[in-house]
Amino acid sequence: MSARESGRVKEAEKRRVLDDAARKRRARKAIEALEQDNFHEDPHADLVMSKKVPKFADSNEKPTRKKKSKSAEYYKMRFRKTFAQLVEEDASFRPDPPNYLSAQVPPSQFPDRYFCAVCGFPSNYTCIPCGARYCSVRCLGTHLDTRCLKWTA
Amino acid sequence: MSESSCYILDNGAYTAKVGLSTKLPKVVPNCIMKAKSERRRPFVGSQIDECRDASGLFYILPFQKGFLINWDTQKTVWDYMFSKECCPVNFNETPLIVTEPLFNFASIQEAMTEIFFEEYECQTLLRINATDLAEYYHRKTHNNECTVVVDSGYSYTYIVPYIKGKKYREGIRRIDVGGKVLTNHLKEILSYRQLNVMDETYVINQVKEDSCFVSQNFMQDIEIAKKKGSANTIVKDYILPDYTTIRRGYLRDVVKSDEDLEQQTLRLNNERFSIPELLFHPSDVGIPQMGIPEAVMHSINACPEENMESLLENIVLYGGNTLFPGFRDRVYNDVRSFALDHFDVNVYLPDDPLTYAWEGGKHIFRDPDFYSFCMTKEEYEEEGKALAFERFDI
Ligand SMILES: [Zn+2]
Ligand SMILES: [Zn+2]
Repeated sequence: MSARESGRVKEAEKRRVLDDAARKRRARKAIEALEQDNFHEDPHADLVMSKKVPKFADSNEKPTRKKKSKSAEYYKMRFRKTFAQLVEEDASFRPDPPNYLSAQVPPSQFPDRYFCAVCGFPSNYTCIPCGARYCSVRCLGTHLDTRCLKWTA
Repeated sequence: MSESSCYILDNGAYTAKVGLSTKLPKVVPNCIMKAKSERRRPFVGSQIDECRDASGLFYILPFQKGFLINWDTQKTVWDYMFSKECCPVNFNETPLIVTEPLFNFASIQEAMTEIFFEEYECQTLLRINATDLAEYYHRKTHNNECTVVVDSGYSYTYIVPYIKGKKYREGIRRIDVGGKVLTNHLKEILSYRQLNVMDETYVINQVKEDSCFVSQNFMQDIEIAKKKGSANTIVKDYILPDYTTIRRGYLRDVVKSDEDLEQQTLRLNNERFSIPELLFHPSDVGIPQMGIPEAVMHSINACPEENMESLLENIVLYGGNTLFPGFRDRVYNDVRSFALDHFDVNVYLPDDPLTYAWEGGKHIFRDPDFYSFCMTKEEYEEEGKALAFERFDI
């Protein structure tokens, strides 16, 4: 890309502003990411045989146990419900509070605090295109160069 | 019928605390991990100690959002725990106390009952909340009337009030912030500011454990962290493990510019206290919820007024997050500032906050009525799973 072209792209980006829905989507994605167990792929995913290899559970015969133990795979099939399904079921198991959903604490009585998305120190400014917080011209520059509208969410 | 020992399994979402009541508990990772460096086998539970290179570990956890969802994983980890390799047990002879999350879903409760009676052939089973065990332990050692138990674990922080030994359900509060959120947030900000560590949950969890503390005065610490040179008493460097000479990283004074250092380092400044701060201000990362001290007050205010005094005098903390230096003092100072002056406030942090609930299991086993809390295999065979819902107050 030539300098002039990239300049033009920058101009166009300057005028772009994320709408409210996109900002909320971004915020939700950020919170969901805090729940994730892994951010990379299973390093053994390409090992086709890994499932067939006798797992610890099968190879370890306990002398005190008379009957043959059922496999881990059996219990995966036997008790297969997702978190969402279980929450839904709970509406009939514990229809009235107190229950899992009602136990969640409400928002704080104290005002929200804002921190610079770049350096983590308190921030007094909001980025106009995306709504992120920043504390200084320097951090704003880093933010525009690295995140801001470069993220698609 | 009464046995000399029981088996206690405090089945946490990140670590299980497990062992016979006559021995010391083992803290076992409740997961299967896969390493890039070791392609021949996954590591189950504490087997991870045998892994020479723990970089890029991939986690397979039985728990999701604090509930037991992945039963194949859990079965594999339990088989490991109950085997000679970890803490062997014969459930035909030894009663089992196993913990479950508060408000555990009905299907999961049924599955717990089924797997322990049928698969593991338990003779005597007690399914119970870990907070119940903690409350029991505190009450037996303090002779108090009411207790507020704060369990700050991997998936959540729960605040549970007890009145005369009974859970007061209307007062239970959950904050959706636990150790996992803290580690993930630390990973995210370090990856953006310094070095991509998104694949290094295991290592960054150690960075968190080794470096973070709970601030007693957040804005003051922010000002210190802004300072340059020796006036900044917060900034430190963390030497990352390289798995040749260093197996676990460590915190040290900032590396001087003329120092020749081969190891990879992370510079930790406001991260050291901004991360645990999320337990006190979840809204700092956009989670619209109260922090722990405010939630403790919210919980106590939902209880009968006549119990307020005893509740404030018996706030007990346990769980991995309570190990951060300064955690207890911050909870105490904040609750003290929220509560009316004429009330006393006591906040207890046990010597070993990780195994406190497990130790509570030892005490409840000695209760003269212990067997009346339990369900036997015969009862299960005669009356089925429905009886378990009556007997166990989960
Ligand atoms: Zn900044
Ligand atoms: Zn922006």
